[in-house]
Amino acid sequence: MSSTSSGAGRVLVAVYGVFALAATARSLVQLFTKADEAPLAYALSALAAVVYIAATLGLAEVGPSPRRLAWAAVVFELVGVLTVGTLTVLDPELFPDATVWSAYGAGYGWLPLVLPFAGIAWLWHTRRSA
Amino acid sequence: MKSRRWNALGQSDLVDSPFPSVVLVASLIFAAVVLVYVVLDRTPDWGLLGAAGFIEGLTLVLLVVAGIQVGGVDLSGGALVTFFGYLVAGLVLLPAGFVWSLAERSRGATAVLMVAGLAQAFVILRAMQVWPS
Repeated sequence: MSSTSSGAGRVLVAVYGVFALAATARSLVQLFTKADEAPLAYALSALAAVVYIAATLGLAEVGPSPRRLAWAAVVFELVGVLTVGTLTVLDPELFPDATVWSAYGAGYGWLPLVLPFAGIAWLWHTRRSA
Repeated sequence: MKSRRWNALGQSDLVDSPFPSVVLVASLIFAAVVLVYVVLDRTPDWGLLGAAGFIEGLTLVLLVVAGIQVGGVDLSGGALVTFFGYLVAGLVLLPAGFVWSLAERSRGATAVLMVAGLAQAFVILRAMQVWPS
């Protein structure tokens, strides 16, 4: 299998890294300053942060089985953004405060929707040695 | 509505001045220059590193000045943490981008610097939006 952190993968890891940083920071601010306001939305933010960290580490080939970690993270991410996106579009009241995945990530330039597809495509593309 | 206050010197806040916009535009220009490098398949050179260092310096000045002026504005709690969180992120992005980028010589690796430049512009923009004016 060819490297997931090389070539175009390097940019992908960088973008995932930015999202991991942003989601983690946002989640920490929410949990420490207003955890009781919208517990579900903030728990979801924290979950999204963990998923982005896992995807970043997996694609950057850190840890014992990075490819498996990356697959799990990007698939979970895709399910997450589609589920939360659909729920928030149908019922905006469900999550009173925004999360990265609200409205399919429209608040983040739709990148949260595009990223899992890019991640899955890249993992598929690099599945065999070049 | 948050009211605009004046600092001890009786001057308008530097954070409200065009200075943050200069940092933002510099970051966008940096990202655009990196794009040219990617298109021409050129590897990062000292010029790019210098430009990033310049933006890093401007961001540090912004962080320090904001730290001094923050007592004079209506910013507290989550907004305060968010504001400085964005600026601290602004100090981390470019160095981290260079470390990740320079470990490999490829178009993709160079493009990492473009991501760092755009993210830099974004955190400056968000910090400006959080700052009460």
